[in-house]
Amino acid sequence: MDYRLDWGPIWDNRGLIAEGFATTIALSAAALVLALAVGGLVGTAGAARPRALRSAAAVYVETMRNIPLLIHMYVWYMALAFLKLPAFACAVLGLSIYSAAYVAEIVRAGIGSVPAGQFHAALASGLTGFQTLRFVVYPQALRIVAPSLASLMSQLIKDSSLASVIAVADLTYQAGAIEGQTFRTFEVYITISLLYFVLVTVVSRLVMVWAGDAAPGLSDA
Amino acid sequence: MPEVVLKNIPFLLHGLAVTVELALWTIVGGTLIGLAVGVVRFLKMPVLGPVSTIYIELVRGTPLLVMLFVTYFAFPALLHYRTTAFAAAVVGFILFIGAYLAEDVRAGLRSVHQGQVDAALALGLTRLQALRFIVVPQAVRRMIPTLFNQYVRLFKFTSVASVIGVTEFTGAALLVNAREFQPVPILLTVALTYLVLCYGLSLVGRVLYRRFAVTA
Repeated sequence: MDYRLDWGPIWDNRGLIAEGFATTIALSAAALVLALAVGGLVGTAGAARPRALRSAAAVYVETMRNIPLLIHMYVWYMALAFLKLPAFACAVLGLSIYSAAYVAEIVRAGIGSVPAGQFHAALASGLTGFQTLRFVVYPQALRIVAPSLASLMSQLIKDSSLASVIAVADLTYQAGAIEGQTFRTFEVYITISLLYFVLVTVVSRLVMVWAGDAAPGLSDA
Repeated sequence: MPEVVLKNIPFLLHGLAVTVELALWTIVGGTLIGLAVGVVRFLKMPVLGPVSTIYIELVRGTPLLVMLFVTYFAFPALLHYRTTAFAAAVVGFILFIGAYLAEDVRAGLRSVHQGQVDAALALGLTRLQALRFIVVPQAVRRMIPTLFNQYVRLFKFTSVASVIGVTEFTGAALLVNAREFQPVPILLTVALTYLVLCYGLSLVGRVLYRRFAVTA
């Protein structure tokens, strides 16, 4: 008996696939914003002078990234079930708290790569600490870490597929649903693999372009 | 330790043993694929080179979970063979981590300065000898810590195998929870165990970085 490829059922279920794709994008976008916010703070603390701040940042990073993402998701969904958070919120929290550890390491490395003279010069010209970070340090750091940020975002989008395990109806979840109804196993998983591939590729290209605009000089660096 | 965990320790330890077994098979297979594909990419071989590039790009653009669904459901359906969840997980992890390892191998090989190759050739070594005696010894030193870090990453990723029904550590804990329904102590124990193991392994990685640092 041969397995005959039949893409018809996949096309018939394009609505479900589109819904899943939209959920994957929404989930990744929400988790990314949170991860950048938390990771930006933790990473800045990790590059700060006071030892206590640096230690606290290191504890956050080592704890969060050494626990598998799947466990993060289950903790929010099952162990903290009394919070009665919707599955989508659990996935956003799990994904962002985990990814923030990686963002923090990127931010810390980025700040570390800006020469100390830049801080001193900015402070000496009368900028406040916050202004120094905002206008002098971050723009230069962004230029340096743009490739790492791009690969972090791809990783985050791919990681979001684990949300399907706690019943978030993302792309991977819908693939399972379609497979269960149509038995077009191969076709459906190849289709969603390609969709992830396209999404990841487009997003990482966009990040590089955006970083180039936000920090001029990236393209000729 | 919570009572619910204590009384299920043999079962959980068995799960942990499966995790280790899964990781070891994957490390062996993934490293072989990584070395082969990395060298092919480094040497820019015709046909094999572009095929390797497609493999790497496809795998790195696909989520690990989807990769496991492909090796557990899609490939067996298409090619008519039976597989176990464990075997499918090993194959999926090997294909997955192999792509990342290949890039590390290539980066390691490329990290040896071209001037050293030129100098070796000028001294009368053949290309193969230059590779064997000049490039590889230095590249391997640089690769060891990087590869080790990928193995630590992989160890953490093995938890995903529970989704296709492998009773490794996470899968075993979920089964215990299904029977006892005490998610808080069970999941905290699981999280702590991974934390201690992965952090411990990453410390070993740091030692390797220092031990094998190539100083100019």
